[in-house]
Amino acid sequence: MVGIGFRKDFAAALLESPFFHPAFIEVAPENWIGVGGYWKKLFRQALEQYPLFTHGLSLSVGSPDELDLVFLGKVKDFLRETNAQIYSEHLSYSKCDNAHLYDLLPIPFTQEAVKHVSRRIRQVQDFLERRIAIEIVSYYTPVAPEMTEIAFINAVLQEADCDLLLDVNNVYVNGFNHQYNAKAFIDQLPMERVRYIHMAGHEKVAEDLIIDTHGEAIIDPVYDLFAYTVQRLDRDVPVLLERDFNIPELEALQQEIDRLQAIKNLHLKNHQYATA
Amino acid sequence: MQPPEATTTTGYQSALAAYCRSGRYTAIPGVHKGHVTHYRRLVYNVVDDMLQSAYPLTYHLLTAKEWKQMVQDFFSSHACQSPQVWYMPRELHEYLVKTQHPLLEKYPFLSELLWLEWLEVELFMMEDKPAAFTAFGDIQADAFVLNPEHHLQHFHYPVHLKQAKQISAEDKGDYFLVLFRKPDNGEVAFMQLSPVLVTLLELLEERPQAMHPLVEQACATWQLPLNDAIREAAGAFFAQALENRLILGYDTKSHIL
Ligand SMILES: [Fe+2]
Repeated sequence: MVGIGFRKDFAAALLESPFFHPAFIEVAPENWIGVGGYWKKLFRQALEQYPLFTHGLSLSVGSPDELDLVFLGKVKDFLRETNAQIYSEHLSYSKCDNAHLYDLLPIPFTQEAVKHVSRRIRQVQDFLERRIAIEIVSYYTPVAPEMTEIAFINAVLQEADCDLLLDVNNVYVNGFNHQYNAKAFIDQLPMERVRYIHMAGHEKVAEDLIIDTHGEAIIDPVYDLFAYTVQRLDRDVPVLLERDFNIPELEALQQEIDRLQAIKNLHLKNHQYATA
Repeated sequence: MQPPEATTTTGYQSALAAYCRSGRYTAIPGVHKGHVTHYRRLVYNVVDDMLQSAYPLTYHLLTAKEWKQMVQDFFSSHACQSPQVWYMPRELHEYLVKTQHPLLEKYPFLSELLWLEWLEVELFMMEDKPAAFTAFGDIQADAFVLNPEHHLQHFHYPVHLKQAKQISAEDKGDYFLVLFRKPDNGEVAFMQLSPVLVTLLELLEERPQAMHPLVEQACATWQLPLNDAIREAAGAFFAQALENRLILGYDTKSHIL
């Protein structure tokens, strides 16, 4: 199944479109908690038509600050009320020194951070009484690293015992920005933990830097990396198309969804044939 | 004075966050100096965009330099508390009032303009407040049900009536209004009120009541003689309020009786 990020920009069009058929929608709970009126009406209609996956923005699992349990309580209620299938968050921090920054900052790849972040992920899972999927984020500079990115991620996943949200575009972006081989990176990830996949477009802002904008179509090399990932996974994992800015006609989004689904079908069918 | 260079994981995290908030970079080991600027840019843009979309009238009023300085002051010295970015702009208003920001002196009506803009956002976005009512009733006899999705406001400048750039010291006075969310399309509307009508709506906030007892109480509060002109004005107000859904309809209990 391939879903779409539910954006206010096309919420009304999505509900009425005769040809646009994502398998599910994804929202950030932050954008919908405590919301009523016009948006709540649309959101309720969307929930009648589509299963919901969720992707948080401001829990800040990587933050030095204490977890915001009041907020997490609201997330828990939201997940229950909307019957959300997945709750995912970012392996990053967006709050520091008691101030929200509303964006995803890179955690230093240190042993201290591994301990801290994995303890917090466990705390979140206990509080929510469910497993969560943690996403590898794009980053534009390392910060005081003591270990490699892959060692950091794998240590966190293992110590936290959580699921992985594999954003294939982020791995591509990071491979480019930090000069490593994206396929080799994926080879080293614990595929059995992958619960959810993200796919998106990005923007190259300099010869040596890509920014993860979610504002462009997915490029071919990222489709290739996706095909590689699907083969490695060898099972059906939900995929999300993320498009947050510069949103095209729904036809164009449907084409991207179709292409992602076709890649999945091809490799998963091959698998069934091979094992039959 | 430059802060000391960080030496721990949490110290590096604080240093990066502080840079994103202030734009003043202090060296962090391992950080790519050319690329880290994108974090400052991205973080600043999220906040700036959010504030611009919540406060379009204020953005239009201020010079580009004033706006930028205000956003910079706010984001670098105020610790944003809301985990929900759409709710964060409320903190800009609070921050300017609390710090008695110099812009409030230059534009004496600015605090009210910001508050008006924020009220519109908050009323549009806020959670639904259910109310029991029936559309059928007698405007003369039955108890009205006030739309609970409303806010009564007293301004000292006509920020809801005049273009901000036209407002001057001579406009200073008392302006009463009620803002409310329309149940059909979720849009936010407002009605200008006289002080007597404010009293009337405050009485209606307490419980559903019918027109005549409401008008009697409001007139008693203001020591006004209850005459035909007042009755007529009240009748016209309630007819309009029923039409635009400031009043949702009639109390189901009083109707059955
Ligand atoms: Fe993602």
